[in-house]
Amino acid sequence: MHKEGVADFPYYVGINSLSELASKEDKVVVFNILGKESSAVTPVSHEYSGGNVVFGTGPGKSGKFLPTKKGKIPVYNSIKEGMAAGHEFNTAVVYLPPSGVKDGVAEAVRQNPKLKKVIVLTEKVSVKDSRIMRAICQTNGVDLFGGNCLGVADSWNHVRIGGALGGSHPDESLIKGSVAIFSNSGNFTTTIAVYLATAGWGTTTSVSSGKDVYIHYGPQEFIYALNNDDRSQAAVLYCEPGGYYEQGIESEKPIIACVVGRWKAKLTKSCGHAGSLSGSGDDAVAKENWFKDYFGVKDIYTPQNPVCSKKGALVTNIADIPEALTKVMELNGKKLDFEPRGDLSLKCWFGSNNGVALPKELDIQPVKAIEPYRGQIEALKQQVGAQINRETMKDASGASKMDPKTQVSQIHNVSILDASNQLFEENLVFALTHSYPSASGTAMANAVLNAYVNQHGQPSLAAATASREAGNSPNTVQVAAVSIIGKKKAQKAMDAAEALLDVFKLTDMNDPEKDFDHQSLVKGAAAHKDALLDAAADAGAAKVMDTCQSKGKSVFLDFLSDFAAEHKGHVSMGAVVAAVWATLAWPSLRSKKITKTTLVRLPWYGLIYSTMVGIAAPEDQHGADKFCGVKNDDLLGYSFTRTAFLALMGRDATEGELFEFQVLLGLIITNGPGTISAQGAKGAVSADGPEQPDHVQINKSLIGYLTHTGFAHGGNGYEAAAFLIDQFKDSDLKDPADIKHGVDLEKSAMDYAKWYSNYKKEQKGLGNLEYAKIPCVNHPIFKGKDVNLDPREEYVSKLFKDKGLYNVFLDFYHHLVESLFKAKVTKNVYCVNIDAVIAVILLKMMWSDYRKGAIKEENIEWASFMAFLFGRMIGCAGEIDDHTNRGKNMDTRTPASKCAYVG
Amino acid sequence: MQITGMLWGRKLLDLVEFPRSDVCGPEASVDEIKEMIQKHKQVFIKPVFKGGVGKKGKSGLIGRADNLTDVLKEKERLYFATHQDGNRLVKSNGVTFEGGVPAEHEVYFSITDNTLYRAPAMTITHHGGVDIEELPADKLAVVPFDPLTGLKAFHVSNALDSLGAPTEIISPLVQNLPKLWDLYNNYGMLMLELNPIRMFNNGKRLIPLACDFKCAFDQDDPAWKRLHLPDDLFTFDDSEFEQEINQLRTYQGQSDVYVINNEGTITAPTFGGGANAMVTELLGEDATISSDFGGNPPYAKMNDISKITFKYWLPQSNVLFIIGGKANNTDIYETFRAIGDGLKWHFQQYGPHPLFVVVGRGGPNLVRGMAYLRDTLDSLGIPYRFFGHDSAMSEVINYARAVNRWMLNGGKDVIKKSMNIQ
Repeated sequence: MHKEGVADFPYYVGINSLSELASKEDKVVVFNILGKESSAVTPVSHEYSGGNVVFGTGPGKSGKFLPTKKGKIPVYNSIKEGMAAGHEFNTAVVYLPPSGVKDGVAEAVRQNPKLKKVIVLTEKVSVKDSRIMRAICQTNGVDLFGGNCLGVADSWNHVRIGGALGGSHPDESLIKGSVAIFSNSGNFTTTIAVYLATAGWGTTTSVSSGKDVYIHYGPQEFIYALNNDDRSQAAVLYCEPGGYYEQGIESEKPIIACVVGRWKAKLTKSCGHAGSLSGSGDDAVAKENWFKDYFGVKDIYTPQNPVCSKKGALVTNIADIPEALTKVMELNGKKLDFEPRGDLSLKCWFGSNNGVALPKELDIQPVKAIEPYRGQIEALKQQVGAQINRETMKDASGASKMDPKTQVSQIHNVSILDASNQLFEENLVFALTHSYPSASGTAMANAVLNAYVNQHGQPSLAAATASREAGNSPNTVQVAAVSIIGKKKAQKAMDAAEALLDVFKLTDMNDPEKDFDHQSLVKGAAAHKDALLDAAADAGAAKVMDTCQSKGKSVFLDFLSDFAAEHKGHVSMGAVVAAVWATLAWPSLRSKKITKTTLVRLPWYGLIYSTMVGIAAPEDQHGADKFCGVKNDDLLGYSFTRTAFLALMGRDATEGELFEFQVLLGLIITNGPGTISAQGAKGAVSADGPEQPDHVQINKSLIGYLTHTGFAHGGNGYEAAAFLIDQFKDSDLKDPADIKHGVDLEKSAMDYAKWYSNYKKEQKGLGNLEYAKIPCVNHPIFKGKDVNLDPREEYVSKLFKDKGLYNVFLDFYHHLVESLFKAKVTKNVYCVNIDAVIAVILLKMMWSDYRKGAIKEENIEWASFMAFLFGRMIGCAGEIDDHTNRGKNMDTRTPASKCAYVG
Repeated sequence: MQITGMLWGRKLLDLVEFPRSDVCGPEASVDEIKEMIQKHKQVFIKPVFKGGVGKKGKSGLIGRADNLTDVLKEKERLYFATHQDGNRLVKSNGVTFEGGVPAEHEVYFSITDNTLYRAPAMTITHHGGVDIEELPADKLAVVPFDPLTGLKAFHVSNALDSLGAPTEIISPLVQNLPKLWDLYNNYGMLMLELNPIRMFNNGKRLIPLACDFKCAFDQDDPAWKRLHLPDDLFTFDDSEFEQEINQLRTYQGQSDVYVINNEGTITAPTFGGGANAMVTELLGEDATISSDFGGNPPYAKMNDISKITFKYWLPQSNVLFIIGGKANNTDIYETFRAIGDGLKWHFQQYGPHPLFVVVGRGGPNLVRGMAYLRDTLDSLGIPYRFFGHDSAMSEVINYARAVNRWMLNGGKDVIKKSMNIQ
């Protein structure tokens, strides 16, 4: 049963011409107008249409309104209430949840005899409700659209009813022309309109039909109305498999049919559009054939095979629609609506290789986007560096993590095993910039780090010396010195970094180690004169600058030279330091790995690095012009790894020792955010309030790390060294690096194993379960097999073997675990763990001096602890920077409810 | 969401008291089978497939026996039988024993929502028991009816009259077939098919006994839940991934997924039903999944979808391909933020993965969304290219496929090295 419609359809159809679909005469009511989607979409539709929404409904929301630029749209509890208030409408738009849609449609039809159109936006309306809604509307002479559609729009009438066709800026897509669009896809309704414009075609009426099982306003009635619409000269139909809606279509005007979804024939359930699930005779191929038969063509239209007739063309790619339409319209003697606007070629708006060398054909360079997007993208350049969302960083880190399976920790996704292949200075830079420096970058970093190592005459050295003399542990001595390196000590360099950032942030310079024309910036940066230049010459600054420039290219240093010449000043030391750090960090800033806060604060970190290494050497090693016997100028050319060795051992390193020392420091970098040292650093940041990064005191944060090391954490490396000294003190071992050392390791190890076996039994017999354990063998994870290996120790052993570096103490440890098994002390062969590696490296370096009596056991203990502090400084600097950029104020606190009272 | 066969069909038919053949499930004892043979002289043994499976008879998957030995033999043969149904290989788990129904007439009957009439329609013929597609149109009656009043006796009567059906079958069918509308309409069905209905003569009159059953449910209609069918009846052919995503199915935002190729190397979160149809077609076997995440999903839902999708598919993927047309109302910033955060989370949980990201999109807050995703990818060290809606979607798809080919031919190692992945 249905009302009599406009034509001889077997069901009611009320639309005679497409021009009536969305017209200025339509007055609209919107169900659930204040819902999330409607409240965003309806104002745009209302404004675009000149104010066509008369009211909206929302149960219990009477008296509220939806603000729009065309005035407030009143909201009522129900249709009845709205109509009682005097509003009249002929169109209902439904944004209700699926279960309420049918009732909403029934309400609109019952309450308003003048209702002519209902548009259902809601997705996932059940088929049962859909068929009932249709029946209600058919009986009462109402055209129904949807569900799961985006409604209708008309470029000529400037009216949009229902959903968001054309998005938030309908004028961009709904350009007046001669082509009507009917699309199963709401998104493609707009996308096709955009594509058509690139070939010079605009639109009349656009219909998003939805693609549920029921399409209430289908292609047949659309074509009928097309034929009656003088404005429309052609139509585009976008169809998907499922349903017989397109079968038998005939039109007086040309049609481009786009049928997509051959693959859907294999679907057993819907994916995408609910109704896009075909049976045996309504799959994509069947639909293609319907259109081919109608057009009288044998093939699908493609640019390579442009098959079409006056009646139209069949395409299977929406990108082919504009060209096919043009060809068909030519056959019909019709001209373009307007000059083509743009084209559909590939246009990359954003792109980065992020260091990957791509083949030429894939290395598409970004181009300027179309307006208004071009302007928006340009504005993005004002945002420099990473933008990181703040979150609670208690026990969490964006810098480090430990893999619980392998026990190998990582910093910025680089395992400490790999990091141990890098120089100390490279890791110091990497921890903060997230990228390893180039060779020339490393040389520049060495120059600025070494420039501040010699603490002669500095209060930091005095503080360290006083602390040392008071009998403090190495970490406590470091605290005394680092506490002196407050913000003001680095302020000039940070001001300079800020200035360089301001000068270069809007340029296209991405790699400061490559050529870049900075001349135009020199004059424009006059405002930064005070931050970058000194009135008087600074010989030290000039020396560091010369050293750095001799090592490689830096746009920032070159800029400073020219800037000083232009403004008749002298480059300050702070500016040189800032320029070097900017050189190291700029690519990471550009690729959003680090924030601009980090870039500006790098000189402060650098100054503390230098201080911590410097004061490791006793006061008498800091002279006016020499550090540990090396001239200050010469030191600038040193690797910072070598400097750290020098400070620690008081002598220069051999090449082999330098490598072993680098590995030693690399292995210590981090054990993840859960370690006490990292927790100390993070707690210190948290307490300063990272939400205002300027408040975070870097030196205090490193003090947090230092105070969270001690004789049990960091200082315990000596335990293994002491054990080894005990084993070798009576031997004739002279050079631990000599494989022909003459010590019978097998016998020594077995002797010890037997002794230990007896000792253990004896102690157990006495009921002493706290008997001495052998340090650095066994591991809670790497255990249980017949022969156990700590993969980290295995890795380092192989590394040394490959380099031809022998270590008698490590060799002894391997014999020892075998002997312990043979002596039945252990049930299987224990692993030699990573802590042993650290101990044996250090002991090997100091053995010779120890043997000679030049150093004592306490010196070894001191060096062992200090070496730990050097290595862990890398990881903790990374944690501090990460927490500063990512954390929230006081986020490391533990709620009282999670604390226990055990008194 | 389909049911085939009488194991569950009998329970549904009993709800509306529609007559059916005598059916026992796989749990039937030897004594029960013996009793069935004695009563019906002949027993059909049919494998139990979950979901919609057609043309079993043609594939030799229906056993027929008149003695216990043969029944048990057929049971053994068919219990775990496999069946190639289109592209799907399905496996049986159990059998039904169905009493033979001697009859002169076999009837085909179905109800579906018919897109030609845009109304529910009955299809009926007294030339049943065969594939309905093979019958000429003049031997079938397709009768649309008003969904508000439902299928009525006169619809059946008129249809059978018009077909020239034997008069003796008309009355029993007129009395019983309208009951099936209640089953169809009250439990959220999209299709209900009985083929064959055998017209059994009980000595007094003909009774239409349903001898096979097939139905499909509308997953957007919760009415089927009233049937209290076991959960695994409909989840059997969903992969774990699909099941996990399906749990997020709410009306705000789509979350449709379908596994295309377990060995695929491009994972393409796709936005919009149209894009879903087109992208999946053009990616072909390169795609891991087909998806539609359009409909303006809120951040939380899109973030959950991303995490699940990445968990299942990123480890094997070379290209993460985020693709859609010019969105009308999907907020690009919200969706890209959700995807970017999901990717970051994935890297934090599972470690970095060598990946290339290709994006083709337009819509509200586009540049803001692209900028967020760009920053995320930069921070993760992932190479990428983003294209706006002024690039043909098919060209963007071709670019993604070209990147994938390069990745397969060594590019993956290049990215691995650049991202410091071991």
